[in-house]
Amino acid sequence: MRIIVFSIILHWLIVLGCSPLFVGIINRVKAVISGRRGPSIFQPYFDLFRLMQKQQIYSRTTTWVFRATPAIVLASMLCVALIVPFGKIAAPIRFSGDIILVAYILALARFFMIISALDTGYSMEGMGASREAFFSCLAELVLFMNFITLAILVKKVSLSQMIGSDVPLLWSTVGAVLIMVVVSFFVVLLTENCRIPIDDPETHLELTMIHEVMILDNSGVDLAYILYASAIKLFIFAAILVPIIIPFKTGILWSDMCVFFAGMTGLALLIGLVESGMARLKLNRVRNFLLIAFALAFFGFIVTLWRI
Amino acid sequence: MSCILVVFFALMILAAYRLSGMIQIFAIQSFVLGFVPFFMHADHLGLRDVALAVGTMILKGALVPYILFWAIRHVSMRSEVKPLIGFGMSVICGAVLIAGAFWVSSSLKLPGKVASDLLIPCSLSTVLLGFLLMVIRTKAVTQVLGYLVMENGIFLFALSLFDVMPILIEMGILLDIFVAVFIMAIVVNHINEEFEKTQGLDKRWAKMGESL
Amino acid sequence: MLALLIIIPFISALAMFLPVRKIFRLKLLCGVSLLHLIITASFWRTLPASEFNGYLVLDALGLILLSINSVLFLAVSVFMLGYFQHEQRRNKVLTACLCFLLSTITLVSVSYHLGLLWVAVETTTLFSAPLISFHRNQQTLEATWKYLLVCSVGIALALMGTFFMAIAAHNVQTLSLPVILSNAALLSKDWLKISVIFLFVGYGCKMGLAPTHTWKPEAYGQATGMVVVLMAGGLTQCSFLALARVAQICSKAGITDFYSSILIFSGVLSLAVPALFILGERSLKRAFAFSSIEHMGLLVLGLGLGGIGIFGALFHMINNAIAKIIMFLTAGSIAQKYGSSRIEDVRGIIRYYPVTGIFLILAFFAGTGMFPFATFHSELMILNSAVSTQHWIIVGVGLAAICVMFIGTGRIVLDMVYGPTTEPVLEKKENFFMNVSILAGIVVLMIIGLWMPAHLEKVIRAAALLVAGKG
Repeated sequence: MRIIVFSIILHWLIVLGCSPLFVGIINRVKAVISGRRGPSIFQPYFDLFRLMQKQQIYSRTTTWVFRATPAIVLASMLCVALIVPFGKIAAPIRFSGDIILVAYILALARFFMIISALDTGYSMEGMGASREAFFSCLAELVLFMNFITLAILVKKVSLSQMIGSDVPLLWSTVGAVLIMVVVSFFVVLLTENCRIPIDDPETHLELTMIHEVMILDNSGVDLAYILYASAIKLFIFAAILVPIIIPFKTGILWSDMCVFFAGMTGLALLIGLVESGMARLKLNRVRNFLLIAFALAFFGFIVTLWRI
Repeated sequence: MSCILVVFFALMILAAYRLSGMIQIFAIQSFVLGFVPFFMHADHLGLRDVALAVGTMILKGALVPYILFWAIRHVSMRSEVKPLIGFGMSVICGAVLIAGAFWVSSSLKLPGKVASDLLIPCSLSTVLLGFLLMVIRTKAVTQVLGYLVMENGIFLFALSLFDVMPILIEMGILLDIFVAVFIMAIVVNHINEEFEKTQGLDKRWAKMGESL
Repeated sequence: MLALLIIIPFISALAMFLPVRKIFRLKLLCGVSLLHLIITASFWRTLPASEFNGYLVLDALGLILLSINSVLFLAVSVFMLGYFQHEQRRNKVLTACLCFLLSTITLVSVSYHLGLLWVAVETTTLFSAPLISFHRNQQTLEATWKYLLVCSVGIALALMGTFFMAIAAHNVQTLSLPVILSNAALLSKDWLKISVIFLFVGYGCKMGLAPTHTWKPEAYGQATGMVVVLMAGGLTQCSFLALARVAQICSKAGITDFYSSILIFSGVLSLAVPALFILGERSLKRAFAFSSIEHMGLLVLGLGLGGIGIFGALFHMINNAIAKIIMFLTAGSIAQKYGSSRIEDVRGIIRYYPVTGIFLILAFFAGTGMFPFATFHSELMILNSAVSTQHWIIVGVGLAAICVMFIGTGRIVLDMVYGPTTEPVLEKKENFFMNVSILAGIVVLMIIGLWMPAHLEKVIRAAALLVAGKG
C-alpha cells in the first residue's frame, strides 16, 4: 500500500514538474528557428504561476458546468498520468485493458471541454467545440487502431506492458509496422494536443482556432488549470510514444531513465521543428490528413495480422 | 520494408491534392522500388539486380516524372485535381482495397523460396490502388499516374522474385513502359493544346475508367 | 533471316524521318512491304531456323499471322499511294509508325518467349496510337487516348499474367515457350489458372472483346481507313496469337476445359454485345467496328470450342484480315471522298463513284460472311463445331447475332450506295491505286472462298494441331 502511494506521488511529481518544461522546450525551439531568442524554457511555469494569482471572471450566461470543467479536465489528466508508465518508472495503476480507460478518461475531459465551451453561449466557441469533436473523433480512431496493433504485436492489453519491455525487441522483426504506428501516433499526438499542422496554439484569429477558441472565456486559476492540463496531456502522449520509438533498453534503471528523458527532449525538439517547418492545414484538409494517418495505422494493422 | 513503403506512397498519391505533388510522390515511389532488389537479394547481388535497379530509378524515378511535368507545363502547377469521390472517401477505399489484397493473397501461396512474404500482398495492393486512382481521378495526367502506379505494383514482382526473365527482356519491359508514358504524355500535351487546358474529362472518359 | 525481317522495317522507319519528299516515303513503304511479303512467302516453302537462342522461332501459327500482316501492309501501302494524292497533311510520323508497326508485328509472330511476346504486343499498341490521331482534332485525340489507356491497362494486366505464369513455372525457371510446353505437367495448376485469367483479360482488352471493346468504335470511327485495316486485321489478331499461345500451354497442362469456358463465355458476349449496338448506329466506320468486335468474338469462340473450331478460327484469322482490307479501305476511300462517314452526309455513292459503290456492297457481303467469300466458310466451320459439341445456345446466339449484324450493316450500306444523292467534297473521279488494292482483296477472298489451296490447308492444319497441343 505504501509503495503504491509513494509511486503515485512520484508519478504526479514527474508529470506536474516536467510537463510545462516540455511545452517550454517546444516554444523555445520554434523561437530559435524563426530567428528570435525566445522566452526561457521555464516560461510556462511563470505563466502558470501568474495566472494562479489572478482573479476569475465568469460570464452571467455560464452555469456550474463552466466552473467545474477546468478542475475536471485537470483531474482527468492526472488520472491518466497514473496509468502511463514513464520509461522505467512503472505506472502505479495497471490492469488488463487499461488502454480503454485511458482513451475514455481523455474523452471525458474532452466532453467537458466541449460542453463548457457551448455553455458560454458564444458562437465562436461553439464552432471550435464542433471542430474539436470532429477531429478528435477521427484521431481516436487512429489511436485505437494503433493500440490494437500494439496489443496484437506484444499480445498484452495493458498499456504498461504494451509500451514497456517488449517493444524494443520488435524493431528487428516488424520494424515496418512500428514505423507506421509511430508516424500515425505522432499525428494523433499533434491532433489531440492541437499543434501545427492541425491547429495553431498561438493563433490570434478566432475563426481559425480550434482548441484556443474554446477557452477564451476562462480566466485566472481556471485558465491555469486548463493550460496545465494541456501540458500534461502533451507530456502523456509523448511518454507513450517515446518508449515505442527508442529501439533499445540498457537494463539499468538510471541509464534507462536518462534515455527516456533524452527521448522526451528529442521529441519536444521534433515537435518544435515540425511546427516551424509546416504551415497550418486548411481546415477541410485536416480531415484528410487524419484519414491518411488512419489508413497508415490500418495498413500497419493489416500487416501485423498478416505477419502473426 | 520497402514493399510497404511502395504501398504507402501509392496511398499518398491517392491522397495528394496537386498534380505536381502526385508526380513527385510517384518519383519517390519509383526510387524506393529501385531499392527493392538490393534488399531482396542482399546476399547474392547480381548484375541483373543492379541493372534493373538503376534502370528503374533512372527511367521511372527521373525521366518519367520529367516527361509528365513537361506534359502539364501549360497547366498551373498548383492546380488541384478534382476527384469523382472525395479525398477522404478515396483514402478509405484505398484502405479497404489493401485489406482485400492481403486477404486474397493469404490464400495464394508461392512455390519455392520467397524473399519476403509481403511481396505478393504489397504488389497486389499497389496494383489495386493504381486502378482506384485511374477510376476516381478524372484528369488525363492522373490516369497516366494511376497506370504507372499499377505498373510499379506489377514490377514489384518482377524485380525481386524470379530469374526467369532474361535481363534483356526485363529491360524491354521497362523501356516499353517508358515509351508508353512518353506517348501518353505527347497525347496529353496535344489534348492540352487542343482544349487549351487539361480537360477534366467529361463523363464518358470517367465511364471508360469504370468499364475496365 | 527472321531478325532481318524485323530489322529492315525498323531501319526504314528511321529513314522516314529523313527530310525527303512525301512520295518517296510512300514508295519506300511500298518497297519495304513488298520485300517483306516476298521473304514471308519464301517461308511457305520451308520454315526458317530459330534464332537468338530460340527466342525467335517461326512456326505454322506465327507464319499465318506474319503472312496476313505482310499482305495487309502491301495492300495498305498501295492504297496510300492513291490516298495521298488528295491529302495535304505531312506523312512523316504516319509512315514511320507504319514501318515500326510492321517490325513489331513481325516480332510478335516470331517471338517464342512469353516475356518477349508481351514486349512485342505492347510495342504494337504504342506505335499504333499515333496512327489514330493522324487527323489531329478533338475526336481523334479522345479516341487515341481511350485506345491507349484501355489497351495499356489491359496489356499491363497481361504483364501481370505473364509474371504469374513465371510463378507457375517455378520448377521450370524460364518462360521460353518450348520449355514450358515440354514441361507443362510441372506447372503449378492454381497459379497457371490465375495467370491464364490475367493473360486472357489483358490480351482480350487489346483484341477488343466485350466488355472491354469500348475503345473500338471510337478508334475505328476516328482513324483513317488504312490505319483501321492494320488495327482490325493485324493488331487485334496479334493478341489473338497470344491467346492461341496460351491455349497451347493450357492444352499441354491439361486445363483446356477451364480456358475453353472463359473463351466461350467471352466469345458469346462479344457476339451479342455488338449486335445490340449496331442497330442504332449512324456511321459506316463505327458499324464496321462493331462487325469487327463480332469477328473477334467468333475467333475466340472457335478457339474455345476446339476441334474443327480451331481450324475455323485460324482460317477465319486470314479471311477476317482480308475482309478488313475490303471493308475499311472502301470505308476510308469513301470517308476521304465525302469528308465524313456518317449516313447523313454520304448517300448515293453509286451515282458518282460506281466502282466504289459496288466495292462497298461487296465489302458488306465479305464482312457479314456471305457465300462467295471465304468468311462464309470459316464462320460456318466455327458454328459447325458448336453444333457438333451440342452447344445449342451458342449456335442460337451466334446465328441471331450474325443476322442482326447483317441487317444493321445492310441498312447503312444500302442507304449509302443507293439513297438520295449527296454531293462529295472531292472531284468525282475514281482513284486507280485505291481501287486496285481493294479489288485485290476481293479477288483473293473470293478465290479462297471457292477453292482452298492444298498448301494453305496444310499450314492451317499444322497450326491447329499446335494449338490443340498435338503438334
